[in-house]
Amino acid sequence: MHRRTGVVSLALLGFLAAGAPAQAEDPQFTLVIRDHRFTPAELQIPAGVKVKLLVKNEDPTPEEFESTKLHREKVVPPGQEILVIVGPLDAGTYEFFGDFHKESAQGKLIAK
Amino acid sequence: MIAVAIIVFREVLEAALIVSIVLAASKGTRGRGVWVTGGIALGVLGACVVAGFAAEIAQAVAGMGQELFNATILFAAVGMLGWHNVWMGRHGKEMAMEATALGREVAAGDRPLYALASVVGIAVLREGSETVLFLYGLAAAGSGGTANLVGGGTIGVLGGVVVGAGLYLGLLRIPSRHLFAVTSWMILLLAAGLASQGAFFLNQADVLPALGNQVWDTSWLLDEDGVPGRVLHVLIGYVARPEGIQLVFWAATVIILLSLMRWFSTSPKRAVVRAAVIVSLVSAGLVLARAAHADFTIHPPIVEYQEFEVEHKGSYTFDPNPANRHNETGTLEIGYGFLPWWGSEIEFAWSRTASDPPRRLDEINWENTFQLADQGEYWLDPGIFAEIGKSTRVGNTHHVEIGPTLQKQWGNTLHTVNLFFEHPFGPNNGEKSVNFNYAWQSLWTWKREFQPGFEIFGDVGPVDRAPGIRDQQLRVGPVVFGKVSLGQALGELKYGLGYLFGLTHATEKGALKWQLEWEKVF
Repeated sequence: MHRRTGVVSLALLGFLAAGAPAQAEDPQFTLVIRDHRFTPAELQIPAGVKVKLLVKNEDPTPEEFESTKLHREKVVPPGQEILVIVGPLDAGTYEFFGDFHKESAQGKLIAK
Repeated sequence: MIAVAIIVFREVLEAALIVSIVLAASKGTRGRGVWVTGGIALGVLGACVVAGFAAEIAQAVAGMGQELFNATILFAAVGMLGWHNVWMGRHGKEMAMEATALGREVAAGDRPLYALASVVGIAVLREGSETVLFLYGLAAAGSGGTANLVGGGTIGVLGGVVVGAGLYLGLLRIPSRHLFAVTSWMILLLAAGLASQGAFFLNQADVLPALGNQVWDTSWLLDEDGVPGRVLHVLIGYVARPEGIQLVFWAATVIILLSLMRWFSTSPKRAVVRAAVIVSLVSAGLVLARAAHADFTIHPPIVEYQEFEVEHKGSYTFDPNPANRHNETGTLEIGYGFLPWWGSEIEFAWSRTASDPPRRLDEINWENTFQLADQGEYWLDPGIFAEIGKSTRVGNTHHVEIGPTLQKQWGNTLHTVNLFFEHPFGPNNGEKSVNFNYAWQSLWTWKREFQPGFEIFGDVGPVDRAPGIRDQQLRVGPVVFGKVSLGQALGELKYGLGYLFGLTHATEKGALKWQLEWEKVF
């Protein structure tokens, strides 16, 4: 993992993406979508560090995890679990919602 | 039904606006209807495929497949739009001069409609895939019944098309002689907006830093979710709470496309282009001024006599180890070429690390460049670089750095090497060592505005007891530099951008670096 070939790579994006997933020491939390709601609706996460959110969709229909404050927008296919990386965040409250079911799919991250 | 209509409307609106701009930009071109319709059709088909493979895409590339896919197609659209504008810049004058309608049509027939059709297809695919997923989800859940879905969906589509048609008809009222310029600008801003969206997804994929989660918040003024906000989002790339990286990409797209358009243009509108370049660079500078310090600079053995310059450089690191990642450095430099062989600069350098978040002024440096011979007088252009730096932080040492700089122009390539010896001193310096660092740069001087190449930076450490290569610092990576002239009154703008890969154990995995400079002869 540390070895680098030193060849200037034109496939910069793929190379970086493959090499830069969040590492084992990043804190990880799970959000579950059930009946078009997020569980838990309020989630406390550490501020100032990168956080991995695993969003699991237990509904039979797709949902889109979205948050303007977190700058995240990602589709969660039914029965699937997706990875959303947030942070490092300043302390505060960050609302998120499910764009496909905005009336019920609401939640917030509280960074402390 | 209303809820369905609203969501479908929002997605269709974005695609419809792009289609309208493309149609207006290609007005008068034979066969454009076929191309645009084809683009829409392929986009719809693609949207269904992407929606069908949503699960596989989401899990691809360590869970970042969606983001990378979106970013890729967005940047592909940016490329297509850029290509169209460059092409129009090259042929625009010819077309405007054609007196007869027949002549106009014939000249316009060669326009790269495939580029515009691709943009339409990409826009429809992106918005369409989300719409298809949403509608499929509703249908599968059986919410509200088919009538609800079909009715709401139809209303949404019609609504989006109506707004798009409104824009198109509005654009058509512009007289033909101005339409070319207006649509070129709209396409330029559309491309910048798409690039900014691409940057958003690359940040979400953890490939690019945010450079500030929220440079400003104008959602109280104009919310992106409302109709006018969405329209502005598509037309100029307006974002209510932009990340710094989005602004960087927006400005960089404007600068690069304008430079390419102007360079290829047969009838450049110099003043307008220059003004736009200044505006976008200032906005880029607003973002970059918040960011970090460059240890990675090549010093040429050339003095720009009587030239005053203001410069900002920055860097940002990436690494799996939290101690080495998200470290930022930044500098602000002011300099002048006092004599043909001596130039001098004052540099303020600050940095910030992940473990020590507030930005701190690290040191104030006085840099001097000595040019020892005329350029080209000898086989190598020789120079000397000398710097003295005073640390502004408690517990840190001051330093002196000196060494030769060499440059060689070879055909249309430019090579520069720095070999520097650094000696720390001061109240807190226990070691009496001299450290050696080296740097190499090779550039292809293709065009003034765009010179790609690579750079190597190495830091050996103390010369008398240098560690093995594994514990030295070594970075290599691609870079691009360029300068844009603003005319004799306004001077020149220079930029540089690069990414350095760390090759040794002692080096961070990667670092993004950038620089912006304004200079003028006084």
